[in-house]
Amino acid sequence: MTDKRLQTAAVAAVALMLVAAGFIFLYAPTDALQGPVQRIFYLHVSSAIAAYGCFAVVLLGGIAYLWKENTTADRLARAGAVVGLVFTTVTLVMGMIWAKPIWGTYWTWDARLTSTLVLWIIYAGYLMIRRLAEPGRQAARFAAVVGIFGFIDVPVVHFSVTWWRTQHPGPVVINDALPAQMLVAFFVTMACTLFLAAVMIAIRYRIEVLTDQAAEKVVVAPIIASSEAGTAR
Amino acid sequence: MRAIAVALAVARKDLMSEWRTRELVPALAQFVVLALVIANFGFQFDSHNAPAIAPGVLWMALVFAGLVAFGRAFAAEREQSSLEAMLMTPASPAAIFAGKALAAALLLVVCEAVLLPTLALFFSVPLSVAVVSAVLLATVGMAVLGCLFAAMVARVRARELLLPVLTLPLWIPFIVVGGQAVQAAMGGGGGGASQATGLLIDLDILFVVLTSLTARFVLDD
Repeated sequence: MTDKRLQTAAVAAVALMLVAAGFIFLYAPTDALQGPVQRIFYLHVSSAIAAYGCFAVVLLGGIAYLWKENTTADRLARAGAVVGLVFTTVTLVMGMIWAKPIWGTYWTWDARLTSTLVLWIIYAGYLMIRRLAEPGRQAARFAAVVGIFGFIDVPVVHFSVTWWRTQHPGPVVINDALPAQMLVAFFVTMACTLFLAAVMIAIRYRIEVLTDQAAEKVVVAPIIASSEAGTAR
Repeated sequence: MRAIAVALAVARKDLMSEWRTRELVPALAQFVVLALVIANFGFQFDSHNAPAIAPGVLWMALVFAGLVAFGRAFAAEREQSSLEAMLMTPASPAAIFAGKALAAALLLVVCEAVLLPTLALFFSVPLSVAVVSAVLLATVGMAVLGCLFAAMVARVRARELLLPVLTLPLWIPFIVVGGQAVQAAMGGGGGGASQATGLLIDLDILFVVLTSLTARFVLDD
């Protein structure tokens, strides 16, 4: 994608998030029990789903890289990991803000919360091995393996509320537990958030391409610099 | 068939070099006993809370001993650059990896043979078949995953830092399920020990399959 198109997409993503904000704050009714703080729900769940999607990109990109040694797949995986980590952070932080007034505490060692925190740590590790391994084939291969293993935690996070008895509520959307207006606001927010995630991955992908190109060019520069320093002395 | 022979030969080599140097196992055994001593100071142990706390101490000691054991699994190979030599032979990388993992797992089992009786003795908790089987089943999965990441970090910078960061989050399923089984067996509350054993076997299968699929990309690099 060209930079011009990426700019347009970014503007569209921001505009759509404002539309989502309109649905969250103006269209959706206030929760009878929890009050306005329940409006966190829309973005909290949407960003969790966006994070799942991003980590699925990491998984598929990793498999594709190991299979075909395709650099595009590897860059997509890299982009997915960064964006997924951002959305996991958003999910965790918004969840904590929501938990304080409703549960009386920011954090509880409940299966959903703990597995989400572990998810964050796994993909932070993914980015760390990328940084510390030898750039190129080794970093891509090692990261792909971590991405494949790391994805095991995604279904654990998702099903934790049904597998264990958790403080975190179970699925409300698919169980028809929400009134129609809340559902509409949720699906609008989710669509906008997923679009935002896709745009962020596209932008990050572009950055990865440019970084790779720069890395190829930069190799000679320190040698020239050091030889110049040598003659100057 | 050939792959199994290669794996056994690699495992035999590792165990023999450990037997000759006696480097890792004595240090690890001392380490787990020390972990129990530290735990004694960290928690106020008495006969009432021991069954509730001992399983946690067991997994803590085991996890950190495991990190050291698996971290060392590729250290000697790296220092002497002998892994490259092994990979140049026609033996399949997966078989070489299986041998290394087997040897590392057996060394950890030896360390467990020190840890479990000591724990039972010092904290007067029962040492049953259920406890031993849960620990051994968890060791299988922890060993394959730990060795895979150890093989990876052996070739990157800051390897001592990276191994725990990558390995610990993915060991959590074994600690959760194994912890549940041990907790039930030691009488610290919680049921479903047989269900936990089944789940440990499932996890072992999952991690062994995934590792056998990916090991070749990590080693043959």
